[in-house]
Amino acid sequence: MRDIGRLVLVLVVICSLSAASLSYVRTSLATRIEQQGDYYVRGPALARLFQQPASQLLANKVKITRDGTEYPVFFRKDGDQVTGLAVEAAGQGGYGGPIVMMIGIDLATDTVLGVEIVSHSETPGLGAQVEKAGFRQQWVGLPLGSSVALAGSGGSVDAITGATFSSSAMVDGTNQVLDLMNKNRAAILAEIAGR
Amino acid sequence: MDFKQALTHGFWRDLPPFRLVLGLCPSLAVTAAAENGLGMGLAVTFVLIFSNMFISLLRRVIPDKVRIASYIVVIATLVVLVELSMKAFFFPLSQQLGIYIPLIVVNCIILGRAEAFASRNPVLISMADGLSVGLGFTVSLTLVGSLREILGSGTWFGMGLFGPGFEPFGFMVKAPGAFLCLGVLLGLMNAWSRRRGEIFVQT
Repeated sequence: MRDIGRLVLVLVVICSLSAASLSYVRTSLATRIEQQGDYYVRGPALARLFQQPASQLLANKVKITRDGTEYPVFFRKDGDQVTGLAVEAAGQGGYGGPIVMMIGIDLATDTVLGVEIVSHSETPGLGAQVEKAGFRQQWVGLPLGSSVALAGSGGSVDAITGATFSSSAMVDGTNQVLDLMNKNRAAILAEIAGR
Repeated sequence: MDFKQALTHGFWRDLPPFRLVLGLCPSLAVTAAAENGLGMGLAVTFVLIFSNMFISLLRRVIPDKVRIASYIVVIATLVVLVELSMKAFFFPLSQQLGIYIPLIVVNCIILGRAEAFASRNPVLISMADGLSVGLGFTVSLTLVGSLREILGSGTWFGMGLFGPGFEPFGFMVKAPGAFLCLGVLLGLMNAWSRRRGEIFVQT
């Protein structure tokens, strides 16, 4: 036990050096990492939803927290007026984990502009078909103020054959966003205005 | 082991994962595509070279009783460095590899080389050992990834190979395909070694 001091000292020195170098690298790369996520994933999705270059939209970002879940919300402005929102949500219940999607909302007509997949880990060829335009087309024009369900449960969304879990996760994420919009629309717009 | 041996043994005699039979988890999990295998291999190579370097540098300082803890701290630090830089500079790849990058920390190849080699050899030869074992791992993972991707998706590094008429053998890109591919390759390698009369490390 005489050498316990040395054991402790060596471990403390190694751990401190490690912590110091990691926190340095982390702080110096943090903004770049955030940008990469926006650039590779959210930017293209936003550009397709609003048919506007991603560079004009990525900076318009607020984070709304409801019921312990954080929803990143992007918005489109025409002049001073906020005309569109894109709300990101994680649909639970996918076969390989949550499906993160972004739902575009047209505030002028109170309808859904469309849905884009931000990330998923569904099976290639089966659940991964949620990315296909034909499936996502069903989201275009959905009215706000209601909720959606799969055709099998009496709703309007046709599930992908052999990928019921993935389809349900899409419906779950969509309902989270619709619910968020119906209950907190004024609060979200206030948060954007106060930014 | 002399310098030349240290530089070459990772490519056949101790080729991971086939010969060492270590590091099987990433070999099975991330090799659904050749690009993922290559990325994972290079990440492991980086960690291996520098963990061998630091551990060799510190081999007289680190007391025996806390050596494993110290090695893990060194390895974990390097892995997080790789993870952060991959997110910052190769974002799509880091999305593909996901949880398997942080899991390099518990990759037995790295701890194995630290314990068996770097902790009792000088710096340069330890780094050569890391380079050789790491590149061997990269070659193996890229090979397994290529086979699975070509058969399972009909592409190689994302390039289409067979045209639209090809019906992919989807089994190969799923988990059981990884076992099958790895097992067949290991079997072929063992058969080849036996023919040449090489003595097996594992019995």
